[in-house]
Amino acid sequence: MRCTTLLALLTGVMLYLVMGALVFRTLEAPDESLAYTNLIATKHSFLVNKSCVTELDFHKLVKGVVSAVEAGLDVNSLPANFTSRWDLASAFFFCGTIITTIGFGNLSPRTCYGQLFCVCYALVGIPMFGILLAGVGDHMGTVLRRAVAKIETLFLKRKVRPTTVRVISAVLSILIGCLIFLAVPTVVFQKMEDWSFLESLYFVVITLTTVGFGDYVPGGGREGMFFKPLVWLWIVFGMAYFASILTMIGNWLRVLSKRTRAEMEELRAHATDWTQNIQNMSMDFRIPNPLEFNDPFLLQRRRWKRSERRRIRRGAQGTLAHWVRGGSENGHLPNRWAGLSISMSQLEAQSSLERAVAAKSRQRVIAAESETVPRVGTGLRVDPVVVRHVEGRSFPHRMARSFSLPVAHSTSELDSPGAALQGGSVSGSESPFDSRSDVSSASSSCLALHRFQPCRTVSSMEEGGAAGITTAPEEKLILAEKYRSVANNSHKHPPAPCLLPRSSPIPHFVIPSRNPILLPSPPLHSASSASCQLLDFFGENLAYIDESSDTLSDRAQPAASEERRRRPRKPKRRSMRRQLSHRLSPMQVRRPSCDMQPPSNPPTPPPDSSLSDRPPSENHTDSAPTL
Amino acid sequence: MHSAGRSWLLLTGFILFYIIYLLFGALVFSSVERPQEDQLRTEMKALKEEFLNQSCVNAASLEHFLVKVLTANKYGVSVLKNTSMPSNWDLASSMFFANTLVTTVGYGHTTPLSDTGKAFSIIYALIGVPFTMLVLTACVQRLMYPLVLAPVGLLQRSGMEPRPATVVHFMLLLILVVLCFFLAPAAVFSTLEVSWSLLDGLYFCFISLCTIGLGDFVPGTQPGQKYRPLYQVSVMIYLFVGLMMMYLLLRTFHKMADLHGLTTFLQLPRCEDDLDEDREPIVEDHH
Repeated sequence: MRCTTLLALLTGVMLYLVMGALVFRTLEAPDESLAYTNLIATKHSFLVNKSCVTELDFHKLVKGVVSAVEAGLDVNSLPANFTSRWDLASAFFFCGTIITTIGFGNLSPRTCYGQLFCVCYALVGIPMFGILLAGVGDHMGTVLRRAVAKIETLFLKRKVRPTTVRVISAVLSILIGCLIFLAVPTVVFQKMEDWSFLESLYFVVITLTTVGFGDYVPGGGREGMFFKPLVWLWIVFGMAYFASILTMIGNWLRVLSKRTRAEMEELRAHATDWTQNIQNMSMDFRIPNPLEFNDPFLLQRRRWKRSERRRIRRGAQGTLAHWVRGGSENGHLPNRWAGLSISMSQLEAQSSLERAVAAKSRQRVIAAESETVPRVGTGLRVDPVVVRHVEGRSFPHRMARSFSLPVAHSTSELDSPGAALQGGSVSGSESPFDSRSDVSSASSSCLALHRFQPCRTVSSMEEGGAAGITTAPEEKLILAEKYRSVANNSHKHPPAPCLLPRSSPIPHFVIPSRNPILLPSPPLHSASSASCQLLDFFGENLAYIDESSDTLSDRAQPAASEERRRRPRKPKRRSMRRQLSHRLSPMQVRRPSCDMQPPSNPPTPPPDSSLSDRPPSENHTDSAPTL
Repeated sequence: MHSAGRSWLLLTGFILFYIIYLLFGALVFSSVERPQEDQLRTEMKALKEEFLNQSCVNAASLEHFLVKVLTANKYGVSVLKNTSMPSNWDLASSMFFANTLVTTVGYGHTTPLSDTGKAFSIIYALIGVPFTMLVLTACVQRLMYPLVLAPVGLLQRSGMEPRPATVVHFMLLLILVVLCFFLAPAAVFSTLEVSWSLLDGLYFCFISLCTIGLGDFVPGTQPGQKYRPLYQVSVMIYLFVGLMMMYLLLRTFHKMADLHGLTTFLQLPRCEDDLDEDREPIVEDHH
């Protein structure tokens, strides 16, 4: 996380504390002074009425009583028969409060040895409880997820939109959890302990967040033998649930901060890009200027437009792009996001093609991609991997490629739910994607969590300095979503990482957990094969186009050319191929086609084919168009 | 299926062991604390009888009076003379309270009395606890590099194998944290607080930094404490930094367990925080 973000967070917490202090002071000080005056009046009346009691005696008595209370005695009722507060059940409960770090404090060790033992006991017990909580949260999360998935399938059968279904499932899981762990215990405590509803709720929240003031403690003694163990059971499960809720809230806050930052950067970059667009649009009617071959902005923009073109030709995401283009009145941010994600998938298609061409082995491609996933995850140390798999590129280009690799996979997955969002208007692509969209929508509240988790990865990438990463949040979002969905499908790991944060030892702190790295590889493996084939197929057809010409020009999608990332990327090698032959056919470009056929009229190769280093291989592969 | 069965088995094993551990603790506490309690009770009884004998107060009115005194005392309002104790809810104390609420330590030495206060505490905690966790985690992330990754790398470069290097580093870090955040503050507390011994200070530091927060020892609540606001604010800062160090220790341990395969063996989540940092993993050239 950035230094500035950290400082901002710290200041935020300080301000939050000060605000809370002010509010508490305003709320509590009047009551306190009232209690004080009452007490003084009581004391005064007592001393006046009972004139044989001197003030000295009185203070002696009160001091003794107070010290006894501090020692843990309940002086309200001193029955003749001595019933210790340290009987086995209460001691058991006390140990439970120690280990869960709730620490009510109504009972605490007074002796030297008791305190020493307490310290050692907690040192061992708290980590152990953390592990237990991890396991419990795990299984609980699985059960909850399955239940919610069943309900989701019910909804899906009625043709409800997947986003609505996801929202419903998240809300539902929260409600179910709240009902079981908050509402029911509140009512139970209200009945059993004669507390008011607010006091009961206050106790439940303070206990489950392990704050544990101790002003309200269950177990007044009237309930029977099984009450305390039941309370303990409820505490364990409720803590697991609460941990997941708190993690979710924390992740929302984190995502909020990231999204805001990402969108700010997008806005900023978009503004620059628009100026560039306007300039380039005026160039449509001019002869290509050889001096522009080395203009990095221009080159990059054209690269993205090629990707746009490829996207249209692929057709599978045509509807999505169409929706994106037409559906957003703003035209900037969503377009930017959709266009970039899809164009990144195009990049991935091309790079996958390159790898297939180079290696002639699909397995290696998939392995490479799955391997790059954790590598990308480890930040910008992608050079060795990228060098291994993508040969002969300039470094920034390589870097961008490696970023697009795992991401694009996810975007291809995204497109399926996104297409499903369109009411399944994506024809042809539905068969391989349907199962995945079903799966991806069969998510639980943890989905939201996982959706937001990898956003944290973005911050580090941003720190790495690559400019083109701010859109990675969305892609990582989708990445996590896809992983989640496929993980659900494959049941390889029944993780509830949303509950795991609470599970870590000692202070139950939120490991802003993320999907285990082990997780993505196998699902990616299975998921990528189908999409790989599709991408490779189109890559074969389109990479030729990409490498050989630069026909589809600005007029194609001026609104959709929103990319300004990857500026440091200077694809010098491609500069020579930059033929500004704006032989645009808007028809062919704007076809919001749902079909997945190869372009019926591919753009003509550049007149000077020697300038491109790819056409020989492209022609070779293009000679075998399938379908 | 085998792994699912195994995970259920592990879970049941954990639960059983946990129950046994609790029972064992209950036994020990019971046997250690009960005699003390007995003694205190007899003392109290004697005191009360003595008071009743030599005065005209009858038992009922004494009970009634004591109930009121104790209720007030529970909320920190003392009836003893010479208690010019400042309010429990001035700004610094309120901030201290908010801090205990938000870090989930929760001493309980002052608790909200009014209904509005309780309702506000609920909402405040629900938002503030994850917020604090977020901040603490972020700080720990920043600290990981200079305190964990760099030294481990240093150790590795000086020729050690990865696994022993992490263990050695963890031990060193543990000793450092214990020295700086347990022993030193305990000494400071035992000098600043009139009735605390060194063990009391140590006990307080441990109970606070584990966020248990029993509340039997709370600094800055003695009457006549000098510079009380400053004292409470510095205790707050100590708590925050101490919590951070505990989290750091925890994360280091988790990574170490990852490295040694312990987490996979117990089928626990791995410490996958490498995803979100552009840093090297704790051990170089691990895979």
